[in-house]
Amino acid sequence: MDRRTVLKGLAGAGGLALSGGLSAPAIAQGASARTLRFVPQANLANFDPIWGTQYVVRNAAALVWDTLYGIDSSLQPQRQMVESEEVTDDGTTWTFKLRPGLKFHDGEPVLSKDVVASLSRWAARDPMGLMIKALQQELTAVDDRTFKWVLKQPFPKMLYALAKNNSPCAFIMPERIAQTDPFKQIGDYVGSGPMKFAKGEWVPGAKAVFEKFADYVPRQEKASWLAGGKQILIDRVEWIVMPDAATAAAALQNGEVDWWESPIADLVPVLKKNKNISVDIGDPLGNIGSFRMNFLYPPFNDVRARRAVLMAMSQEDYMRAIIGDDNSLWKPLPGFFTPDTPLYSEMGGEILKGKRDLDAAKKLLAESGYSGQPVACLVAQDQPITKAQGDVTADLLKQLGMNVDFVATDWGTVGSRRAAKTPPGQGGWNMFHTWHAGADCINPAPYTAIRANGDKAWFGWPTSAGTEKEVTSWFEAKNLDEEKAAIGRLNKAALDDVVYAPTGFFLSYTAWRKNVSGITKGPLPFFWGVSKTA
Amino acid sequence: MLSYILRRIVATLPVMAIVALFVFSLLYIAPGDPAVVIAGDQASPEDVERIRQGLGLDRPFLIQFGSWVWRILHGDLGTSIFTNLPVSAMIGQRLGPTLSLMTVTLLLTIVVAVPLGVVAAWKAGSFIDRAIMAFAVFGFSLPVFVVGYVLAYIFALELEWLPVQGYTPLTEGFWPWLQNLILPAIALGCVYIALVARITRATMLEVLQQDYIRTARAKGMGQGGILFIHALKNAAVPIVTVIGIGIALLIGGAVVTESVFAIPGLGRLTIDAILRRDYPVIQGIVLLFSFVYVLVNLMIDVTYTLVDPRIRY
Repeated sequence: MDRRTVLKGLAGAGGLALSGGLSAPAIAQGASARTLRFVPQANLANFDPIWGTQYVVRNAAALVWDTLYGIDSSLQPQRQMVESEEVTDDGTTWTFKLRPGLKFHDGEPVLSKDVVASLSRWAARDPMGLMIKALQQELTAVDDRTFKWVLKQPFPKMLYALAKNNSPCAFIMPERIAQTDPFKQIGDYVGSGPMKFAKGEWVPGAKAVFEKFADYVPRQEKASWLAGGKQILIDRVEWIVMPDAATAAAALQNGEVDWWESPIADLVPVLKKNKNISVDIGDPLGNIGSFRMNFLYPPFNDVRARRAVLMAMSQEDYMRAIIGDDNSLWKPLPGFFTPDTPLYSEMGGEILKGKRDLDAAKKLLAESGYSGQPVACLVAQDQPITKAQGDVTADLLKQLGMNVDFVATDWGTVGSRRAAKTPPGQGGWNMFHTWHAGADCINPAPYTAIRANGDKAWFGWPTSAGTEKEVTSWFEAKNLDEEKAAIGRLNKAALDDVVYAPTGFFLSYTAWRKNVSGITKGPLPFFWGVSKTA
Repeated sequence: MLSYILRRIVATLPVMAIVALFVFSLLYIAPGDPAVVIAGDQASPEDVERIRQGLGLDRPFLIQFGSWVWRILHGDLGTSIFTNLPVSAMIGQRLGPTLSLMTVTLLLTIVVAVPLGVVAAWKAGSFIDRAIMAFAVFGFSLPVFVVGYVLAYIFALELEWLPVQGYTPLTEGFWPWLQNLILPAIALGCVYIALVARITRATMLEVLQQDYIRTARAKGMGQGGILFIHALKNAAVPIVTVIGIGIALLIGGAVVTESVFAIPGLGRLTIDAILRRDYPVIQGIVLLFSFVYVLVNLMIDVTYTLVDPRIRY
């Protein structure tokens, strides 16, 4: 008997009993309608969105710090702290003007010098920021509300870089905080965003509290993701960390919490039966499952071995292992880019489509010269998604006739071991599993996992000249048609060389009590526009 | 007695030093890297290395250990790699919930388990004895999380009597504090109650065979007097020992219980710190737990003198 079996059984029983719904218990009745109690996807263990790039940190930071631009639901950058911008005809000099009346939580006005310091810190850590930094001639404050970024050559994706929601976002901090070494953590959490961080109430691993910032000046436009008017309709947001999914489900059912960011698939049927709870897809951009093969060592240093794995793998097996039987939550993904986004492409995706051909895959694997050496397959058991994928991969490799060295461990160990470039038998590896937020896979800018520049690439260190050529083409594209063409070619090149193995596209739910309204779908939980009745 | 206690406290220092070295070495050679966790899934190896340097994790073992010991000797447990908060402050934040949970569980155990064990011994071989021992086996066999889920389902979801999760400090009132602890204490206490009840029964059975018990009965002493004045007092040493050793079980059990009931205690902090490889926090907690364990052993030894006048130090 394991925890999952028990909680499913109890959840089922609960579901039957609760199908008529439950009124909030007495203990929950006194809760203020001005306080929203939210269960985040993970523990907020640190609170520096430049130093620590975990999604949960980014999500909390979006409440406390504002950005110059914000990405909207059409994936377009929109002005946020900026009132106007100008770029010279040659594309090398950007001049930005801040909105009037912007204030930090300590009452100080937001000035250009704060922006300059913040952008400098961000640019030292962010992949796009590093690209801009490499082209930078100067980044200077012109006056209190105007600053200038002068480049040696044009960078057409400038506004996207400043608006993007991928970690690390270009959050604006006071100069005194932003001057902190980007590889050291800040300890002062003053921003100019719509909510203040109540540092005194922070219990890392248990609770984080945010309070409405009365002096925040929202834009007039309708809110759309990180863009538009961030109207805060509640006084206080309490993030309550709950490591146990069954407890979180029970707490939501009896009104001890109002919103659960990421309910696990096993418990969603129970929540759906409760008349007081709404359940819907949380992030329409979803996630892309993946495993990566190490290009440095046999057998996967040979493209034929990598292709053999792709030919044999069934994305449906992976998705069912992750999601279960809810077919509305997953899609096959014959490519690398997020479905239903402007640049999505299936070019070159034939290898992942249609009936799986195990015999042809075995033949190709034999041609690659594989002769039974152990394949070190790292699988983090403490992450349900990686565990599910790892189990499927182990079976797949065995069917291919490979000798699987299944390394069952925790995510912390996978995270450090995957960085080792030593041979698999000496502390290295052949495969590891992970997944990517769909928001990170809409184009090559934030998409570290698609890069294939050998030693400089992400873990597995893929080399694919074709892929890299098209990344450059995309950055240089002058319009959407050119971008789409580049991405199509990129998708094909990356599949031909098997930069990594996409295991499918999957969505997840979010759940909230019906006395809460204004929750919108997006790549992170947005608290602006959310209100609650008693 | 006072000199004995002082000697014992001094004797704990080398134990603590060995524990400290062992834990530090274990963490040093264990796989995993906090810099990787901090940097996030998309970080480059260069970024991870810069963070490692920033945290001082690239320094040789002896230098890292030496500087940690130096800080400990100055009363500084260090700073969490992740939160940038002092470890002592983080432990302080989490001590209240864990102590509360352990105290309530301990009281519940003593109040329930000892009388159950005494009654089972008194009614040895009867249906009541078998029922109590069956309950003990049942309680001993069920994992904490199963009991926790069942209790939460019945008392929080179905009956709506108690909250599912969380912790309210005692400063906010006795009942709010207690109502958050009832279910977790029962869940955590099940194994403990079963263990103490069985030991109490076994010890009492042995004592009840003694000549002085027969003499007391012959003199016409009542059953209550025999059980609770003569027998229980003479059976107390093994029971106290088990209760003391059980505190270690409680520390381990608190890890799971605090996760199930979302109690922000030391158990959860330990798990979080281990998963993130937050070395200073892990070291701080292990030192604290080992100190508590040594202290509990000392308290048990001192308690012996209270329940058995023949024991002298």
